[in-house]
Amino acid sequence: MEVSRQNGRLSLLRESVRPGGKQNEETAMQSLGKLFGESPFLQLVEHAKRVHKCVALVLPVAEAVVAGDQQRVRDLQHEMSLNEYEADQLKDHIRQHLPHRYLLPVDRDDIIAFLRQLDRISDDAEDFAVVATFRRIDLPPEIQPDFLAFVSKVVQVSESLLDLAEHVGQIQKEAFSGHLSEETLKKIQQISQMEWEADKLSRNLARKYYSAEGLNAVSIILIEKLCRALSSIADHAENVAKNLRLMITRR
Amino acid sequence: MLLIALAVGFYMAWNIGANDVANAFGTAVGSGAVNFRLALILAAIFEFSGAFFVGSSVADTIKGNIVLPSAFEATPHLFALGMLAALLAASIWLHVATFMGKPVSTTHAIIGAVIGFGLVAKGAGAVQWVKLIRIAASWFVSPLVGGGLAFLVYYAIRRTVLRNDDPVRRAKMVVPLGLGSTIGIVLLSIVYQMGPRFVSGCSAKQLCLMSSPGVVALAVAAGLIARGIIALRTRDRVHVPHEAYTTVERWFGRLQIVTACYMSFAHGANDVANAIGPVAAVLQAARGCVTAKALVPSWVLAFGGLGIVAGLAMYGGKVIEAVGKKITEVTPTRGFSAEFGTATTVLVCSMMGLPISTTFVLVGAVMGIGFARGFGAIDMSVVKSIFASWVITIPISAVLAAVIYKALLVVGL
Repeated sequence: MEVSRQNGRLSLLRESVRPGGKQNEETAMQSLGKLFGESPFLQLVEHAKRVHKCVALVLPVAEAVVAGDQQRVRDLQHEMSLNEYEADQLKDHIRQHLPHRYLLPVDRDDIIAFLRQLDRISDDAEDFAVVATFRRIDLPPEIQPDFLAFVSKVVQVSESLLDLAEHVGQIQKEAFSGHLSEETLKKIQQISQMEWEADKLSRNLARKYYSAEGLNAVSIILIEKLCRALSSIADHAENVAKNLRLMITRR
Repeated sequence: MLLIALAVGFYMAWNIGANDVANAFGTAVGSGAVNFRLALILAAIFEFSGAFFVGSSVADTIKGNIVLPSAFEATPHLFALGMLAALLAASIWLHVATFMGKPVSTTHAIIGAVIGFGLVAKGAGAVQWVKLIRIAASWFVSPLVGGGLAFLVYYAIRRTVLRNDDPVRRAKMVVPLGLGSTIGIVLLSIVYQMGPRFVSGCSAKQLCLMSSPGVVALAVAAGLIARGIIALRTRDRVHVPHEAYTTVERWFGRLQIVTACYMSFAHGANDVANAIGPVAAVLQAARGCVTAKALVPSWVLAFGGLGIVAGLAMYGGKVIEAVGKKITEVTPTRGFSAEFGTATTVLVCSMMGLPISTTFVLVGAVMGIGFARGFGAIDMSVVKSIFASWVITIPISAVLAAVIYKALLVVGL
């Protein structure tokens, strides 16, 4: 619903920029309408949703890796790439439409940092999928459950974060002081906790695959790359959360 | 000549009604707090009462405090002619600016025009520069004051209502408070302005002091009644925390109708003078007494009020609708804060006889709320362009008035 309204707003903006036309009808009040620039917050929500679409594919990719289904991995990677591209485009649009002349309710740098961290989540998710396409990885059966648990944890971290990020539009509407802001602050704490848990899983997993018998060096390198991408997703999710906290609590 | 002045004055009032009234009701209609038809009716009533009850001070300023009337003591005819020229110049410039889609304040146009004719008719000595500086200063100060007030109100709402554990309960207390204070301020302004007309031997301030217990009692009563109604109507409702924000906005939506009326009232009080100040001057000159500190006749005030209502009825609706659709960011809490800040500033300026631009003050108020983290993005370049518009309006309307004055002399009206 928020998105469709945002689209309506965009078209309105375009209309008001058009020279001539109905301008003479509205005069002074039209300027009052123009006073409100393109608000970045609803678009941040949309961006978070697009990043979410990337992260949602991480678990299916991991499952395909475990199943050894390279065709499926490639299909998923292709889909992921498209999603990542869409998110990227929106990110650039938001940044371009965030001129210094705007009076914003949060620090402009916080919005930029928020976007950058979100963007890295989608980058890492894509990385994960790309690495998985390089070559068939034969995960030893004793590592598979740990690997999948780690993946789930990371996806869980980033999904809880994205759930929060999707509320940033409503939080702004409530002037960063409503009930929702309070709840969000509490949940941000939980995300840090989850990131820590993901870290622990990652360490345990690393010990296992480095010491596994019969794993060849190339597989170890690939698994390590996969895990690094996963850790990075969790890290950046935590950073986004911290950024969101800055936005809410500032001033 | 009086007839022409009346006609042009009516056109000015019409223009004010058509363009500026949306300031008050645009957001209330946009947020769905009030439907379009009711908005028109309320705007008409309150614009008229503002103009009628509190409009005379600013009219006095335009009539006698910009150009020294005593300079025209021997030639009242020229004074009338000049005021007519000023009125014509302001109307023409407004019309042109409207056509070009430029936001121009009627206040700035008429003041510039009056200065223009004064300079041409009697030279720089006839213009009361000290009083003009006061007026010009008020153009800078009023948006700041309006912005400051709006900031405080919105900040207070955020801190005391939205951040509270039970925002709805707080809203139920704050809404009657807002209602009561609005009513109190409006009543006091009417006493201040109209009192001396009916009660002789007392200054306006004395009257205000005397009537303040009554006014406060009325305001408190209004607040209490509102509180009672709210209590009655929400007795059986259970509030869900997630819907608290929506509920708060809904309550403020009710209150916003009142502040929109308040703003119409203040706007009528200040801006009617732009149309009828010169008319009153022409009227006075026609009677041959330019210098007399005569009160603006009530019927002239009513005439201006009617002009505003006419403009509103014929054209204001379109503008209100356009604005309401465009400014969706202005939710009832924000609308209330902006309108309360703007209306209070404008009303106080009206009582001080300072002609100011309602639109300016409103822009200031919107920025104030922006500083209180109220809006997603405020485009400061638009703010600049709005504030720059009066810089060109004043010389243009001054020159225009001078030219028209000379032309009228040649024609020999």
